Amino acid sequence: MNRTLRIPALALAILGCAPFGAAHAQNDKGKAIYDKVCVACHSAGIAGAPKLGDAKAWEPRIKAGIDALYESALKGKAPAMPAKGGATDVPDADIKAAVDYMVAAAKDGASAPAAAAAAPAAQAAPAAPTTPRPAALSFNRLLKPASKRNPPPPEDGIHDPDNDGTHALQPPLQVFESLPRSNAGNRVDWVKALDNNLIAPRWDRTDPAAAPVVMDLNIVREVKGSMPDVVYPHKQHTAWLDCSNCHPQIFIPQKGANQISMAAILLGQKCGVCHGKVAFPVSECRICHSKKKNVMPVKNAQAN
Amino acid sequence: MTIRHPGASWRGALAAALVVTICIGGIGTSGDARAEYADVVINNYSDAAGMRPVIFPHWFHRIRFRCKVCHADLGFQFKAGGNEINMVKIIDGQFCGACHNGDIAWSVENCNLCHSGKPGTPTQVHESTIQKLAIQPQAGGQQ
Repeated sequence: MNRTLRIPALALAILGCAPFGAAHAQNDKGKAIYDKVCVACHSAGIAGAPKLGDAKAWEPRIKAGIDALYESALKGKAPAMPAKGGATDVPDADIKAAVDYMVAAAKDGASAPAAAAAAPAAQAAPAAPTTPRPAALSFNRLLKPASKRNPPPPEDGIHDPDNDGTHALQPPLQVFESLPRSNAGNRVDWVKALDNNLIAPRWDRTDPAAAPVVMDLNIVREVKGSMPDVVYPHKQHTAWLDCSNCHPQIFIPQKGANQISMAAILLGQKCGVCHGKVAFPVSECRICHSKKKNVMPVKNAQAN
Repeated sequence: MTIRHPGASWRGALAAALVVTICIGGIGTSGDARAEYADVVINNYSDAAGMRPVIFPHWFHRIRFRCKVCHADLGFQFKAGGNEINMVKIIDGQFCGACHNGDIAWSVENCNLCHSGKPGTPTQVHESTIQKLAIQPQAGGQQ
């Protein structure tokens, strides 16, 4: 990858725009700013922010020209982009470098596809965004940065890179890039992936044609606190699981027979047997807590 | 039911924690959790047998099979390390061996594809809720 990227960079240097070293340093600067400022929204795509490396989201923006992008970054853009991403003390040039970095990452994401954006190409070709970051300066040192998500097995911290087999394993991103993303867990929306037929996991070990009997029954659990009530959909669960996986061991199949609390779930019981270990984690409160309580005047609030 | 496992696993967990700390030079017991969500490390017997621990990638398998195939049909418990899997059972077609038989999936002679963990990594579900706490409760949170 480095090699292919160097060619345009060298071309730039020959044209006299910028020597290779400077282009590279510029990119480092952009990445540093990205990691400090932009990452807050542009890694997860918060409030419609185009995600880093999401070629599709960036394409129309890149087409509008690099100056328009600089403008949005420096002055902000409705609905949610603040001027300079909120870091008003950062010099303009650095913000521009961060834009360049994100544009380059988007092009990396698009990699081959021919045309895309010919016009601003000269502005933002340079090198690979794989420089090590100073950890002490990271945006939130206890939060895993976007760049550390879904690493290939040899870099994931638990696989042994000295083991030949490790290098034969499939890197998760190779697959995840084609699947709908989510904000937690593997950062894949597995239910959507299944619903949209993007994956076809077998229901039977040997028979690819076997299909589950999906049961479409919602169970509403009223919760005591201020959170919305929980709607438990059998549908999405029976698409993956057998009744016996949950009943009767984890959940007694009878209304009112199960005591469930977030404390138990956090400790890996009840819903927490899967949610927080393999199914979407408990940080995604509102996927379950999805039914608005009846809004009523305060004096009648006890009704629930 | 508790987060921590009583008795025998303690010694192992402590030793493992030590080794992991030395190996990774990382943050305490779970290292820096970079591995894929739901990757299961199984180290019931591996370390003692001089093999690398097994890493089971849930994400890879759920693309190919629904949960039910392993967790209902093949009898895998919903608990990391809760299945007493050994190579004899696998060769006899139980647990992993139901598919990893050279027929549905590659077979047991590919030791290093499963036994690919860093030596000394304790049994755990990677990135589980407990692990994601910024401050770890104790050594080797295994749930």
